[in-house]
Parts: sequence; C-alpha cells; structure tokens
Amino acid sequence: MAAIELEGLTKRFGDVVAVDDLDLTVEEGEIFGFLGPNGAGKSTAIDILLDFIRPTSGTATVLGHDAQTEGEIVRRRTGVLPDAYHVYDRLTGRQHVEFAIEMKGVDDDPEALLERVRVADAADRKAGGYSKGMRQRLVLAMALVGDPDLLVLDEPSTGLDPNGAREMREIIRQENDRGTTVFFSSHIMEQVEAVCDRVAIIDAGHLVAVDTIDGLRNATEIGETLYVYVSTLDEGVLERVRGLEGVGTAAIDDGRLRVTVDGVSKFGVLHAIDEVAGVQDFSVVESSLEDLFVRYTNEGKEVEA
Amino acid sequence: MTWLTVAKKDFRDAVQSRALWALVAVFVLLSVISTYAYVELPEMFGTPGGATFGGLIFFTIGLIGLFVPLAAIVVCYKSIAGERELGSIKLLLSLPTTRGRVFVGKVIGRAAVLAFGLGVGLVVGLGFGAVLLGDLDVAAVLVFVLATLAFTAVYASIIVGISATTGSTSRATTLALGFFVVFELLWDVIPMGLLYVVEGFSLPTTIPDWVYPVMQIPPSAAYFSTVVALLPDLAETVGADPAQAGAGVEVTAAEAEPFYTSPEIGLVILAGWLLVSVVVGYSLFDKADF
Repeated sequence: MAAIELEGLTKRFGDVVAVDDLDLTVEEGEIFGFLGPNGAGKSTAIDILLDFIRPTSGTATVLGHDAQTEGEIVRRRTGVLPDAYHVYDRLTGRQHVEFAIEMKGVDDDPEALLERVRVADAADRKAGGYSKGMRQRLVLAMALVGDPDLLVLDEPSTGLDPNGAREMREIIRQENDRGTTVFFSSHIMEQVEAVCDRVAIIDAGHLVAVDTIDGLRNATEIGETLYVYVSTLDEGVLERVRGLEGVGTAAIDDGRLRVTVDGVSKFGVLHAIDEVAGVQDFSVVESSLEDLFVRYTNEGKEVEA
Repeated sequence: MTWLTVAKKDFRDAVQSRALWALVAVFVLLSVISTYAYVELPEMFGTPGGATFGGLIFFTIGLIGLFVPLAAIVVCYKSIAGERELGSIKLLLSLPTTRGRVFVGKVIGRAAVLAFGLGVGLVVGLGFGAVLLGDLDVAAVLVFVLATLAFTAVYASIIVGISATTGSTSRATTLALGFFVVFELLWDVIPMGLLYVVEGFSLPTTIPDWVYPVMQIPPSAAYFSTVVALLPDLAETVGADPAQAGAGVEVTAAEAEPFYTSPEIGLVILAGWLLVSVVVGYSLFDKADF
C-alpha cells in the first residue's frame, strides 16, 4: 500500500492555481523529498494531506485513508511538522509535548522526547520565549509522539543552524530505520540530496520530475561544466565556441567561459577551445542537483513565458 | 475525548490572560461596592421594603448581564480566529482530532475560564452581601448559580462561534463588539421601532404580546427571564425592577411588564442562541482553509 497517493489534486485560491493536477505516489518505508522553490505549491499540497485545506478537485489518500473524510484516522498515525505554525506562547515546552501525548492517547515520556530533540533544558520555560530553532525542535518532538507510521515535515530545517539541520536528518534516518515513511519538503536541494530515497520536483503547482537522486542526475544532459580562462574573450569567441562539436551551451561567466559538455570527452572540447582562443587555465565542476533543480524549475517558467 | 484535552489546554492558556484578571478584579470591586450600596440604600434600588437576599440576587443579575458579555468578548474573541491568524491551529489540527471537537473543546475551555472568573466575583460579592444582611438562601443561590453558568456557557459559545467564522482577529473583534452593541445596547429600540412602524407611525397605548419575546432575544435579557422563571417566588417578592439601577440596560424593558407573557421564553431563547452559535460557527469553521 502506498503511504501517500495524490490523484489529480488541484487547488485554486480565487484565480490562482496553487496546485495543478498533481499525481504522486509515495511508497511505504521510503524517505521522499518534495522539492520546489518558494511558492511552488509544496505547502498547499501538504496542507491538503493534513486537511488544513480542502482540494478544489482530485483526491489525497494517506496510509490508505482519504485525507478529507478520514483525516482523524490519518493523523492518528501521522506525525506532523507543519509550515508557518505558531506555538502556544503561554504554555511550556513540556506542556506542548504532554498535550500531543494526551491528544494521541499514548503514554510516551515527554522528558525522553524533549531530550531527543535537545530542548530538555528549556522544557519548563514558556515556548513563547523559544528561538525559532527551538520551536522547530519542540514541534518535531510533538510530531514524534506515538511512533507515527508517517512523518510529514514541511521545511523541517527552517530556523535550524547547520548542526540542527544535521540532527534533524539523523532523526529522520532513525525514524526511517524503524519503518516510518518520511515525506518532507524543502527548497534546498542539498538537504534533500543528503537523506532522500526519491525526490519529486514541483514548480508553479506542476510536478516536473519524480525520480531517485541518481536517476535525476542521469536523466539530465548536463554532465559536467567546464570553466575556462582564455587569452581573449568576447562575443566573437563565444560564438565560435558555441559552434564547436560537443559543446552543449557556452556563456561568459565572471570573465571565464562556462561550457557544458555533451557526450564527448572534456579533453577534446578543451583542445578545440584552445584553437579558438588560448586556454590559460580551467576547472571542471560536476553538475550538482542544485543545477538540476534550477534547470527544472527555470525551464518550466520559460515554457510558460 | 480530545475535546476535553483541547478544553484543558485552552483553559490553561486563557487563564493566564492578564486582561481576564483585570476584568475579574473590576467585577469583584464592582460587586462589593454595589452590594454594599444595595444593602445600605435599598430604597434607591427599587426595594423600599428593605434589602433582602433575594433582592440582592436580582440586583446582581444586572451586573452579570453586563459583565459576562464583556468578559466573554475579552476571553473568547481570539479563541479560534487568533489561532488561525497566528497558525497555532496547525499544531492543533495536526493531532488526531476533528474541527468539531476543537470547536466544542474551545467553547467548554473558555466557558470554564469565564465561570472561574465569575465564580470568584460572585463568591466575594454574594458572600459579602450575605454577611451584611445576615441572610443566605442556599437553594436560591444554587439555582441562580446554575442559571448563571448556563448563561456564561451560552455567551462563550456565541463569541467562540463568532471567532470561528474568521481568520482575522480584528474582524473577530469587530463582529463581537458589533454583536454586543446590537443585541445588548441597542436592542430595546428595535421592537419599539418596529411597533412604531407597524402601528402607523405612532405608539399604541397597550403593547402587543409579540413585543415581549422580541425583547427577550438579547442573551442577557433571556438570562434575566430564565432566573425569573426558575425563581418565581423570589421574583414575586422582589417585585419591581431590581436590576434597573445595576448595569443591565437591556433587562429594564423586560421588567416593565415582566409577567404578562411567560418568562420561560428566556430558557428557549438561551437554548436557541447556543444552537445558532454552534451551527453557524462550526459550519463556517469546518469549511475554512488554513
């Protein structure tokens, strides 16, 4: 059974289409990254999973239950770190976790949970005085209450320092080892890259890609990028470089030539460039998923424009 | 039972509101002062026969009729709109519960906060009065307290219901204050105005029967009638207008001819307010996107 299944999910706010005909399946037991720039519709889709928002059309099924009609059953087995939430300023960290424990009807130890997310020291302080990072940890502790089968984390590393983000990933992995499916959104590729089994990229409400990290890397033509310092660099040189065999794209970037290589050896391309304008120095950069992400999401915009 | 957990959390949260305690302090002070004034100068307050404990109860109703609506607005206007505006509603609804249970939990939690604050004021005020008068009617106090709790719960439900219709606290404030102004301050004018128009732009010498129930529509007027209905003997002996000198602007009209139509209508109207506020508040809350 799929942990999450979206079918033709669409949400309009007035004239704005936040999520457009989204189909997506997240299998049980995987760590699934939901990636897209800010405003791409990630939070809207997640809010529909949690029944904060009602879809205009289409369905969302979570752990085999309809998110709208059987939301309570869904949330009984789901831990949630929402986006744009606010804690209860006048209640302490411990009271927050105790509240989640009581609502879920389990008998977890609040102390142990607060230890796990490293806010035990501040457990008896009012959460209104917590820093953003501490709040994020506190709400993660609430999400972990009752050993959920599914964790839905909307931008989990918001407000966390690099250490905090690393600890968050640790917890995600630990929970996944226990058999929990993890679905989390991010606009930062490297976080997704570090833990995810599969990734979906969403842009302007559309799904633009779903694959494993390696699959995404392979699917793209941008293999490697060469940065070349040449003796003379002007439009004429650029034009001639573009015409060379094996050159995918070429551009002037910060006084250097930026050239992507298609299929042939870098060495061959470098030689060819050397004949056009003397190569003084060069460096090779393997395409990161970041490039990929930028490429996927920008292409979408160009098509629309 | 998640509604109970929500109610408890809400109680814990709201009971820490400074505005609530300022209001309770004002209420305690007011009830002590007015109790003292009533006991010392009963003829000023329409009880020429001298102060009685029953008279004190009816006198206190006027005060409550003003205190409860205002306190309910302070305690409840943000109950749901505030959580939506800030986003803490997302923490709440991430947990295994339903919007209906959140609504019910909110009403009960906030009603408990109000009852708690009101209880402090009443114990002090009526206790003080009982000591001054050397008299205490336990049965009447019990009925009175129950009716007052019911009234408080109805008001909590009305304001939480208003709060549930919007995700903006400033909108909720406007709506709640608007409710107060229309139903608690200006309502008397409405049936009289209607009567004036219906009768061809003149006031008749006898007031027709339909005016009475219309006059009872404001929750605090319905509350007054309810107490009259539940304590008929006491109301009879107290006679005239015990609440007139109190703060209850809205109840005075009801007392002009308090018994020519059954005061039991008050109970029906209170139940009606409960129903309307829950149905309207919940149905809009249930449809909303956060």
